[in-house]
Amino acid sequence: MSKVFQFKKSWILLISIVALLALAACSSDGSSSGSGGEEPDKITAWAWDPNFNIAALNQAKKAYDGDLNLEIIENAQDDIVQKLNTGLSSGTMKGMPNIVLIEDQRAQSFLQSYPDAFYPIDDYINPDDFAKYKLAPTSLDGKQYGLPFDTGVTGLFFRTDYLKEAGYTKEDLTNITWQKYIEIGKDVKKKTGKDMISLDPNDLGLIRVMIQSAGSWYVEEDGKTVNLVDNEPLKMAFKNYKAMMEADFVKPNSDWSQFIASFNSGDVATVPSGNWIGPSIEAEDSQAGKWEVAPIPKLDMEGAVNASNQGGSSFYVLNIPGKEKAAKFLGETFGGNKDFYQDLVTEVGALGTYKPAADGEAYQSKNDFFNDQQLIADFSKWTEEIPSVNYGMHTYAIEDILAAEMQNYLKGKKLEDALTDAQAQAEAQLK
Amino acid sequence: MKKTAKSLSVPYTAKKAPAGGRLKKNYIGWLFILIATIGIGLFYFYPMIQALLLSFQSGMGANLEYVGLDNYIRLFNDPTFIAALTNTFVYLLIQVPVMIVLALFFSVLLNDATLKFRGFFRTAIFLPCVTSLVAYAVLFKYLFGLNGLVNRFLMDLSIISEPLNWLSDPLLAKITIIIAITWRWTGYNMIFYLSALQNVDRSMYEAAKIDGASAVQQFFYITIPMLKPIILFTSIISTIGTLQIFDEIMNITNGGPGNATLSISMYIYNLSFEYSPDFGYAATVSYVIVILIVILSLIQFKVAGDDK
Repeated sequence: MSKVFQFKKSWILLISIVALLALAACSSDGSSSGSGGEEPDKITAWAWDPNFNIAALNQAKKAYDGDLNLEIIENAQDDIVQKLNTGLSSGTMKGMPNIVLIEDQRAQSFLQSYPDAFYPIDDYINPDDFAKYKLAPTSLDGKQYGLPFDTGVTGLFFRTDYLKEAGYTKEDLTNITWQKYIEIGKDVKKKTGKDMISLDPNDLGLIRVMIQSAGSWYVEEDGKTVNLVDNEPLKMAFKNYKAMMEADFVKPNSDWSQFIASFNSGDVATVPSGNWIGPSIEAEDSQAGKWEVAPIPKLDMEGAVNASNQGGSSFYVLNIPGKEKAAKFLGETFGGNKDFYQDLVTEVGALGTYKPAADGEAYQSKNDFFNDQQLIADFSKWTEEIPSVNYGMHTYAIEDILAAEMQNYLKGKKLEDALTDAQAQAEAQLK
Repeated sequence: MKKTAKSLSVPYTAKKAPAGGRLKKNYIGWLFILIATIGIGLFYFYPMIQALLLSFQSGMGANLEYVGLDNYIRLFNDPTFIAALTNTFVYLLIQVPVMIVLALFFSVLLNDATLKFRGFFRTAIFLPCVTSLVAYAVLFKYLFGLNGLVNRFLMDLSIISEPLNWLSDPLLAKITIIIAITWRWTGYNMIFYLSALQNVDRSMYEAAKIDGASAVQQFFYITIPMLKPIILFTSIISTIGTLQIFDEIMNITNGGPGNATLSISMYIYNLSFEYSPDFGYAATVSYVIVILIVILSLIQFKVAGDDK
């Protein structure tokens, strides 16, 4: 009897193992999806920022003639990055959106990490219609995957009243270098008591802005070779950053809301930032007419220009059923509809990188919050000057290493040593 | 009692029971076990083994390939990992003892039957443990912000003349994190000590008092020895918790300034989601936590749990 029982015991054990394996096999079987499958009725799009990207998608939905049931889902950018990474790496495309917004600096890491997960859209748009600096991050191996959208073009937003009090006009701020900016900052602080800028010591966004204005990045042209120690623009950017920190005109912030508060409360005189900060500045009605925008300062070196990019993003189509529908929708709105861009500028205030749209009427409109400045026209003019760089895939990994070395540098470590160490660490880490 | 024991053993030993009933009983018993076994196997062991396999692979996103022990070798040459490990140990070595001493202190105070509003104080100290991790972390971020309550309070008391940069200074940021976790978890440990103290026989204290032992002596010679197993338990739980610390770092300092507060879990997150994803290496780092927890728990058992 006990033999029978033992037999049964092993039999049941066997079944449970088989069941386990079968279940486990099921979970990895999903990887074959992606191609094939039925056309869905609904196209979903993931994006962040309700005032900018989500509003732009809604506008595109309105402008689109074709038959499309588009569902726009708002996610925080971090959530999108997480969901895409977990979803795509598990091999299953279930629950993935048809259209997704990805920041330019992250795009290559997705395109290269998940081959075949994205759908090339060359047949739906003409890449030459878009600003050149947007094409390198959005394409891979000669195929265009992303539809270039948000420019991320930078400008130097400044308080006219504070600058005037210190004796400066817009001309004094136009086409200057960062050194000049620091001089003016010290003067402004002395004469008005206001800080010149608000910075988050943990965020090197401004360093990125500086080096791109000189056509440089953390990696070389190939997007892989780490380029820190012999990177002249980076050295100069570090020196500028330290000079700012030591000039006693920096109001530190440690997150987004403190950053917004720093200028909405009237504590700082300038905000050098991507154009997307505009709506946040305009949110403080009482400061209407007190702001204007000058071109971003540049590095004091040959080849540097007064134009750069911060936090631009683009739309991508995932390689799942519905991809043709999604690509067609993007192509006929963001990818080729000049009139749509005029509405986008007037109603949403969002600026794309579609070149033909720039001659449109709405692009010449004046913005009364910014002293009747032709803000959109200025921004689109600067967009054309942004140097094109290859961001590669490791922007954020390298930046964390640099942020640590920046702390050491600020504390007194020699710049050469800090960058040599950062270079060595980055090379060890990014094999 | 005897009867039940006998009837339970029927399927295994008794020869008189009809074969059909025995089979049926066996099936039902195994069915219950089977569901749990499959569940545990699928949701605990399968992922653990997968993660172990993953830790021998490397590559971006879905392009993984087996690299043998490369990831484990990489650990030792990775300054970011070493920084994260050091930070985590700093939290562990400072925060866990501080918290356990505090929890002991509070529990002994609150166990005093003569104390008024005991219920209120107990609730007040335990309350932080039921608040949401993210919510309290965000709150601490604002408390310790440049214009936060802490700075204003210190300035009002003329302890400092300028607001301290709690979140952007490497040392102060670490202190902020330690204060935050201590606030959050002290009450949790206190509850364990309180319930253990209820089981300590009062007559021991009375006898000690008669023998002329002071309150401090009673604490060191009665309370601490009686609570020893609980202290061991809480220190292991706290060690595990601290090694896995994530929410506070993520929400208060985001690992900064410049990796000064980065924890191992936060580094795993960064490797998986912030940087170009390398899930293989992230799995390796997470196995380091497992290994550390095992080692530290063993040490704690050896040091404190000598009688078992």
